Amino acid sequence: MILFPLLLVAMFLALVVQHFIGPLPPMGARVLIMPIIMFYGALALPLPAMFALTLAGGLMWDALHVQMVDGSYEIALGSSVVLYGVLGGLISGFRPLFQRGRWEIHCLLSGFACSIIVFAEYLMITFRREPVIFVFTPNIWWSIAASGIVATLLSPFFFFALNYLALRTGYDPQPLRRQPKR
Amino acid sequence: MKTRLPALAFIAFVAIAGIILTLSPHNMRSVQAGFLGLISPFLKTGSTMEKKYRDFREGLKTLEQLEEENKRISIANKDLSATNQTLRGLEAENTRLRKALGYAERAAFKLVPARIIARDAATWYSSIVIDRGTAEGIKADMPVLTEEGLVGKTSTVSEHAATVILISDETCKVAVNVENSTEKGIARGERGSTTAIPQIALTFITKQANLQPGQKVLTSGVGGVFPSGALVGTVKDFKVRELDGYATILPAVDLTTLEDVFVVVSNRP
Repeated sequence: MILFPLLLVAMFLALVVQHFIGPLPPMGARVLIMPIIMFYGALALPLPAMFALTLAGGLMWDALHVQMVDGSYEIALGSSVVLYGVLGGLISGFRPLFQRGRWEIHCLLSGFACSIIVFAEYLMITFRREPVIFVFTPNIWWSIAASGIVATLLSPFFFFALNYLALRTGYDPQPLRRQPKR
Repeated sequence: MKTRLPALAFIAFVAIAGIILTLSPHNMRSVQAGFLGLISPFLKTGSTMEKKYRDFREGLKTLEQLEEENKRISIANKDLSATNQTLRGLEAENTRLRKALGYAERAAFKLVPARIIARDAATWYSSIVIDRGTAEGIKADMPVLTEEGLVGKTSTVSEHAATVILISDETCKVAVNVENSTEKGIARGERGSTTAIPQIALTFITKQANLQPGQKVLTSGVGGVFPSGALVGTVKDFKVRELDGYATILPAVDLTTLEDVFVVVSNRP
């Protein structure tokens, strides 16, 4: 199954590309491409491969973004591994529907999961930073929601492209979809 | 065996995640530096391509625009030369007076120029990646500046790249003084400050501070990370809270369009 290493490479490249996509106006929401690819993997690949993908994705994300503050890490390296693993497992539960050729709800789920990631990161830093005050300004809500909305809008394109890539490699991620009548 | 595979994969996932979560800070830093080293060639290539594209777009200017720009740069050049001459005179005078008073000679800084190769893609952090690392003498917690003012401090450092936490990040705290005032405080980014122009909060100042918009905020040098006298920004507004005063600072450096920075590597050239 060559799709697995291809998705890993795609996730790595997405992480690079994300650095060149600026925050979206007006309130600076970020475009999350890497999680979309990872969630596609959760739908297209069996459970063991999904766990491996989320492990790699979470580790890459934390290695690049987690910061050391005053000599200690405010978020432990590996927190995203757990978060991605849980979300990947949730999305993987919708795999039978994806295998039957449906993908609409999965794009929505992918966007929702991206918002959950941003929200969970916010909660984690809030718990670690002094003082522990839950500030929920419109900016913060927008950052959380907009990342999910953008991911929902981008997901069909990525799912389509990755499905095409999978078929080209000889792996059919949707083997139960209805074939068009001849 | 096939039915047991998902369960085994789950156990392996939990075990590996547990190992990663319990890594010591030293090992975490090594993992981060290793990954930064792995990704930095891609970031450098991407940055070069982005710069070429931008240069190409900016290169498409009319003759009038180029003449106008040339005129503006010439005036700025003359202005800077004149200021430089004055400052040289003041430096010589300062050294002479310090010697006369028996003060220790103020250490000069060794600056390492660096190019920004990436901006952080995470939502809640404000950081950039620069193309200089341990090979150029850069270590963690070194101040980063431009000619306009303070930018931040280095965090994760690999051989040829380093992450810089910007002053607009909540975790980057800077001890500061306010110009024409005896006020001292701590400048730090605001959580969730995601507007196009990031703002910095100035806390731990007195209720009587009465800071005026436009007053300059400079590093005090307390804490040992940042050199004293570096411009952080200007006061935007000031308000009195129940226990203390609170001001918002506009950063001196435009952190969103920054391209080149200097890392203060040591106090001696």
